[in-house]
Amino acid sequence: MARRVSRRVLAEHVADVIVSGGDLSLTTQQLAAHLVVTRRTKELDMIMRDVSFILSDKGIVSGSVLSAHELTESTKQAIQEYVADVSKAKSVTLSYQLDPAVIGGYKVSLPGLQIDRTISHQLTQLKTRFKKV
Amino acid sequence: MTFIRQFAAETAEAEAGLFGALGIDLRLLILQIIAFLILVFLLGKFVYPWLMKQVDERQANIEAAAEAASLAQKSAAESQEQTAHLLAKARKEAAEIVRTAKLESAEIMSSSEKKAKKSAERIVADAHEQIDKDIALAKKELHNHTIDLIALATEKVTSGALNGKIDNERIAKALKESQ
Repeated sequence: MARRVSRRVLAEHVADVIVSGGDLSLTTQQLAAHLVVTRRTKELDMIMRDVSFILSDKGIVSGSVLSAHELTESTKQAIQEYVADVSKAKSVTLSYQLDPAVIGGYKVSLPGLQIDRTISHQLTQLKTRFKKV
Repeated sequence: MTFIRQFAAETAEAEAGLFGALGIDLRLLILQIIAFLILVFLLGKFVYPWLMKQVDERQANIEAAAEAASLAQKSAAESQEQTAHLLAKARKEAAEIVRTAKLESAEIMSSSEKKAKKSAERIVADAHEQIDKDIALAKKELHNHTIDLIALATEKVTSGALNGKIDNERIAKALKESQ
């Protein structure tokens, strides 16, 4: 029977491997096996979130950017610089997704931080402000 | 009886003078007087007292009956007078009760009318209040629907007007302003 290890410890181990540049593939396999044996597969999302937070504390930030239209390289660069400035991170890694429902603008999702500059969000704020309760 | 016959016969022979002329037999007269006296004595001793007693008793009964009748008559008169007095009193009380009942009935009707009027006024006031609330609610909902429609229209217009180039320019401008 595998010894139960806390979620925090598992997340720190994975973060250490990422920072040190170790064998991430092996680490992820080990993590998956441990979770299956200990029947904790439902905690995977929470562990990965913990890994993001730990990496962010260490200055490595990864997040996602949502926009309505395809962003140019200059825009992506500008966003990356902005995120680095706001999060005080040494390294910023962003993934880009499209969603026409946001109409325009961008939304950055980082561990512990969300910056929403989409037009749909602004319209929602306007509606909330002017609507009577 | 034999002695009396004998005395009577001897007396009849002796008195043939005055009394004989009148046709009165002295012995017989004396015997009759004695018999009468004996009769009177016997009657007075035995009959008359009893008779008088009976008569007195009858007299007393008659007087008692008369007195009782008189008392009864008097009592009947008093009863009649009392009955008349009671009837008059009862009539008076009945009239008073009827008068009181009429007054109370009028008061109850008046009170009921007031209550009904007050209740109607309250219902009307509540209805007005409810109408005002409904109007305010409808205005609020209309306002909110208008906001929703404006937002929707803005979304449509913006979606139509915004292309990738303009969006990128806007984003770059916003980032520059943030810095």
